Amino acid sequence: MADTLAPTEIRALARLLGELDYYQLLHLPRDAGSAEVKRAYHATTRVFHPDANRSLEPELQDAVRRIAMRISEAYSVLRDPRRRRAYDTRLTGQGGMRIQLSEASAEAGRQDASERNGRTPQGRRFFKMAQSDLARKQFAAAARNLQTALTFEPDNAFFKEQLALARSRIA
Amino acid sequence: MAQIAIGIDLGTSNSCVSVSRRGRVDVLPNAFGESTTASVVNIAADGSITVGNAAKANIIHDPKHTIYSAKRLIGRYFFSEEVKKARAICAYEIVEGENQSVRIRVRDEVFSLPEISAMVLREMKSIAEARLGQPVSKAVVTVPANFNDNQRQATKDAARIAGLEVLRILNEPTAAALAYGFGRGLHQRVAVYDLGGGTFDISILEIGDDVFEVLATSGDTFLGGDDFDDRVIDLLADHFLAEHKINLRNDRFALEKLKVAAEDAKKALSLEPSVEIRIPDVLTTPGGETLSLEYALSEREFASLVADLMQRTFKVCDEALQQAGMVSRDLDGVILVGGPTRLGVVRRGVRDYFQMEPRTDVDPDEVVAMGAAIHAASLLDQGSEAFLLDVTPLSLQIGVAGGLTEPVIERNTPVPIEQTRTFTTFNDFQQSVSIRVYQGESREASENELLGQFEFGGFRAGRRGEVEIDVTFEINTDGIVNVTARDRSTGEAASTRITLSSGLSESEISSIINRGVADRVTTDNIPAASAPAQPARDELVALQKPAQRPAQKPAQKPPSRPPAPRPAAPEPEIDPNLITAVEFDGDGSGSNAASEAELELGDAAAGGDELELADIEGLGEELSVDRESESLFEEPGVVDLADDEVS
Repeated sequence: MADTLAPTEIRALARLLGELDYYQLLHLPRDAGSAEVKRAYHATTRVFHPDANRSLEPELQDAVRRIAMRISEAYSVLRDPRRRRAYDTRLTGQGGMRIQLSEASAEAGRQDASERNGRTPQGRRFFKMAQSDLARKQFAAAARNLQTALTFEPDNAFFKEQLALARSRIA
Repeated sequence: MAQIAIGIDLGTSNSCVSVSRRGRVDVLPNAFGESTTASVVNIAADGSITVGNAAKANIIHDPKHTIYSAKRLIGRYFFSEEVKKARAICAYEIVEGENQSVRIRVRDEVFSLPEISAMVLREMKSIAEARLGQPVSKAVVTVPANFNDNQRQATKDAARIAGLEVLRILNEPTAAALAYGFGRGLHQRVAVYDLGGGTFDISILEIGDDVFEVLATSGDTFLGGDDFDDRVIDLLADHFLAEHKINLRNDRFALEKLKVAAEDAKKALSLEPSVEIRIPDVLTTPGGETLSLEYALSEREFASLVADLMQRTFKVCDEALQQAGMVSRDLDGVILVGGPTRLGVVRRGVRDYFQMEPRTDVDPDEVVAMGAAIHAASLLDQGSEAFLLDVTPLSLQIGVAGGLTEPVIERNTPVPIEQTRTFTTFNDFQQSVSIRVYQGESREASENELLGQFEFGGFRAGRRGEVEIDVTFEINTDGIVNVTARDRSTGEAASTRITLSSGLSESEISSIINRGVADRVTTDNIPAASAPAQPARDELVALQKPAQRPAQKPAQKPPSRPPAPRPAAPEPEIDPNLITAVEFDGDGSGSNAASEAELELGDAAAGGDELELADIEGLGEELSVDRESESLFEEPGVVDLADDEVS
């Protein structure tokens, strides 16, 4: 059963909407995992879903609708690791509380691309060397270079992937 | 008397109405005791309208005045492929109306598609009122998940014309999942495989107690049981041609007979391994000779005839699973919906594809209406007993220069949702900004469905680039799109004019309602004795206690028509001066190139060089390398692409 909302609560939240980030909106810690994100989405939607608030007066229904739409947006960003990364970057950089979905996807694509090439000069250098090793099918050398690249960018997922691939070819 | 709301499954071939009261769900049968009613309308010479199986019988006797499969036409443009196909095949007269809309001419009268569907809905409303013994004015009406905004809006208009307040336009697979999982405390991931008379949908849902979250949905609005019939018709016609050198396809009368025979044979094959098709008097030659057609069709041969159609459904399933980030192993169950899912070839195919036995404890013809009824009751009761978290089935896109589009809201985004894009004027003292809105997955505008062209005017005058207009695209829980605009600096809402939508205007709807078209539907009297409560039926109990219902009950379907390719949207006159996207490129595939160009665009707010935009679109496409499938070993050069080759 849906929690009943006080009109003052709804109005206050609708007014605050622009100042809340997605984590605050869904009552989530910044490091929440995907299961937590889903649980929070279900819990908040339960309260603010237009279906659960059909008896409200029109002005409040409108406020609830705006909150519900923001919740969908928050969920769409936080459940998608790539969009979420783009959003986190924006939050850190004081870029605003919202990110348009297509913008998040585009940003995620850019981050991927930079990850693919390396984010640091040294990382890029060793990755390039690994690439030529791979082209020559020298997998052991490629693995060494990738490992070195990873010391400069320890959390580069793409480098890790490539390293795993190279290692699998050594055997 | 307590308020009551019904659920209506408005099908291509058959419709079904259901009600949920005090936790019990009843399918309300028509006067003949049938749980489904043919979605066929016959308009008699005296103007009276009959709906249902009685009308269906007229497809052969009074073909010009008998309208079937209206759902295939509703919300479509006159120039679409689907409409072209229907015009070639249907005996009733399909004409063009205003704004490239589709109209049906019957004698001296011209009807819009929402009016035709309204007649069917009025019949379903009357059936419910007779069975319930009270007036009904509220309903949840279902549509295929993959219906676009035009089709949803037209369906909603139809319900209004029928005298129904629409509580919700609900997606058919979502309704089915609700009927399956409601009140059972399930924690499951399920796929709903919904093969109807004219459409195919697949939805992947996660059910957690009372929350039904759609993870992904995909579909094909040009693929249904009718297409299975067509394969049999072709087989029979070819057989006859080989034997008699006469093409039955050229004889409308013979073709109708083939349709009936094909449909019957298909149904029989869900029970028997083979069937003897006999049409004793399929054709009379000019010489007066009566020819008959005979053919022994085995289930195996039928299966091979439709194998590619089954494959098409599985391709759509692949897409939905991929969008949900799942493989079939992750699923706990597969629910079958729609009459054609009774066919052995479909059941076997689904079992093999999903590697599990599909559920057969829900009636595929009734489950959608039942889910709609459950949702209707919960919407009426306020205290919602189930939360349906649905998604938008199609990407919402805006048209940009070069005949391309840019996504604003990607498909499978949860609704309700709103997204805002900022546009600016391209000319000094420009009076209005025009935006074309599309739905679909293509980059090419012409391959998507045009929802409308919105013109925003009435904002303050300024030099080019000075006036920034925030355009907000909203998709509500009905899956219906709303577009609004306001001047960013003044916050003043702009006036909107929508053009090029084939739908009905408010005033047209009012005038149709005033004319009382739906009131002309004459409904067979349902004996008062059987009126209010129905005896409990198997499938009603099935909700609480999944029960054993015989899986095979021949589906009822009207004659069929061949499949049609996706229709092309119109290519309206483009005025590139009017539209400039400035805030971001919105390119989901992403690339360095896109980001640089985007910054330029964003900085030079007024700039909005369309050519550049167009280029970005193209590049984005090229660069969207699927990381999973990419192997560095095969294409060592690919990672350089973003850095070197693009600039």
